[in-house]
Amino acid sequence: MDFFPVWLSLRVSLAATALTLLAGVPLAWFLARKAPRLKDLLGAVVVAPLVLPPTVLGYYLLVLIGARSPIGRFFESVGVELAFTWRAAVLAAAVGSMPLLVKALQAGFEGIDPRLEQAARTLGHSEWSVFWRVSLPLAWRSLVAGTVLAFCRALGDFGITLMVAGSIPGRTQTLPLAIYDLVQANRMNEANLLAAMTIVAVLVLLLGVGRAARVRY
Amino acid sequence: MLSVRLRKAFPDFTLDVAWESREPVVALVGPSGSGKTLTLQCLAGLATPDDGRVVVGERTLFDAKAGVDVPSRRRRLGYVFQGYALFPHLTARENIAFGLRGQSRAHIAERVERITEWLGLDGLGDKRPRELSGGQQQRVALGRALAVDPDLLLLDEPLSALDAPLRRQLRGDLARIVREWGKPTVIVTHDLPEAYQLCDRIVVYDHGRVVQSAPRAELLWQPASETVARIMGIPNVLRGTVVKATPDRIQLRWRGQLLEAVNSPARAYLPAADMPLAFFIRPEYVRLIRKDRGPADPVHHMNVMRGTVVEDADFGTTWTLRIRLDEPGPPAQGAFDLEVEVPHLVYEILEIDRDRHWEFSIHRGSIHVLP
Repeated sequence: MDFFPVWLSLRVSLAATALTLLAGVPLAWFLARKAPRLKDLLGAVVVAPLVLPPTVLGYYLLVLIGARSPIGRFFESVGVELAFTWRAAVLAAAVGSMPLLVKALQAGFEGIDPRLEQAARTLGHSEWSVFWRVSLPLAWRSLVAGTVLAFCRALGDFGITLMVAGSIPGRTQTLPLAIYDLVQANRMNEANLLAAMTIVAVLVLLLGVGRAARVRY
Repeated sequence: MLSVRLRKAFPDFTLDVAWESREPVVALVGPSGSGKTLTLQCLAGLATPDDGRVVVGERTLFDAKAGVDVPSRRRRLGYVFQGYALFPHLTARENIAFGLRGQSRAHIAERVERITEWLGLDGLGDKRPRELSGGQQQRVALGRALAVDPDLLLLDEPLSALDAPLRRQLRGDLARIVREWGKPTVIVTHDLPEAYQLCDRIVVYDHGRVVQSAPRAELLWQPASETVARIMGIPNVLRGTVVKATPDRIQLRWRGQLLEAVNSPARAYLPAADMPLAFFIRPEYVRLIRKDRGPADPVHHMNVMRGTVVEDADFGTTWTLRIRLDEPGPPAQGAFDLEVEVPHLVYEILEIDRDRHWEFSIHRGSIHVLP
């Protein structure tokens, strides 16, 4: 039995979650605090990956990072290939995860009493310091919940990954893709094992979220 | 010491105020929605006025003409928010230390220690805000604001989140703390006794404007207008017509009575006969005439009237009586004409609960004619 897809999926999901956090935290903060006019439009763009067909997302992502796009060319020129590598799988998973993190965290930021941030300002703190010492700690629960949801979504991505990374065994074949191939090949016992592992991993993580969400001040 | 001029327009509200104070402690009093909190936010730099100027001592914090707008974090102020806005994720000690930065740990710890001791918060430093009572939260908020040794202290309804008995006690504590601290302080409140006890100067707001700014005693005895008297919740603000006016006396007709009052020293002209005029009578200055001592002596009693107590309420140390005059026609204040306050002891001795019909008098000096 080949466990490569398990390790690949873990790595890809972790990397995708990190990428989601890096882009999603500032985006959520921006949506919650700074963009009253752009909010509806940007909000719709952010949520779109939840409802668009994965093939559509995958197609455009492929166009964006393919060898003929400026982005693809740039990465190629520095010796990094994107399309049909594990890096593309990371990008695919991140695209799918982004809305879950951003929406959860945006709600968390919006739930903060604005006077707490004002109080910090009057006490001599810069915007940067207010963010790290007041806004983020108070949105902590939403951040944890959003991160875990994002990770679980990344772990389970099928369609976008298939479009941009393919399903190359030993290179880009993640857990969900491997299960699909196993079922197609009628290797049910192995498919069963991998599927069960996925369920257990996700349930453990979601229970963890429940825990984290119970932290009270 | 403190000079404030602000203009800020919204679609449905415009703040346009100017006031100054040489006294350290100022109260902003007025109905809700009159622009008091917005003024504090402008002073704190949390809202930006369209026009105006804010000067604290020697420092200009805001000047639209000169393009000065010191950001909140550099204004060196302490802001106690309504409801306190304590950081729920930090302990009382961490809350108080929040504004102390760029100093050594030992120095911060010592400063926080001094503040907690001063405010009577010993032993509560490790508790989080939700574990503290309302009064303790209020003092932590005060400590957080004072720890940074600000140039200006802003308090937004500092006592409104507390229940009545605690409120009265903490009012005294707050008055002491603010006096000991001794730097410019602006307190927003809609409670006149609170403003009177805590502050030296009272600025009365109404619909985004200042209707009067005066030292507290002057404001209490000489409200600038009927509006001010009503905003301040002065009871028995009444309207009569002038019968005759001289520089030091005014005769008024009100509810069929001829009342004699002292003319307002602030009045620049003598009102003509038959002119309508507003005045107020302090409930605690109305004197009930004892029935067991013969007829009322005209030397001691003037402006004598008769009426029936139609309603009364026990306020613990005093009783408030609502009296309707023995006069036909609609009463001046809904179901009654005059509110009268008597000490508990007087209420018991005179057996007012049983005996409802009384004769009473008001000294001419206790009828305050409004300008």
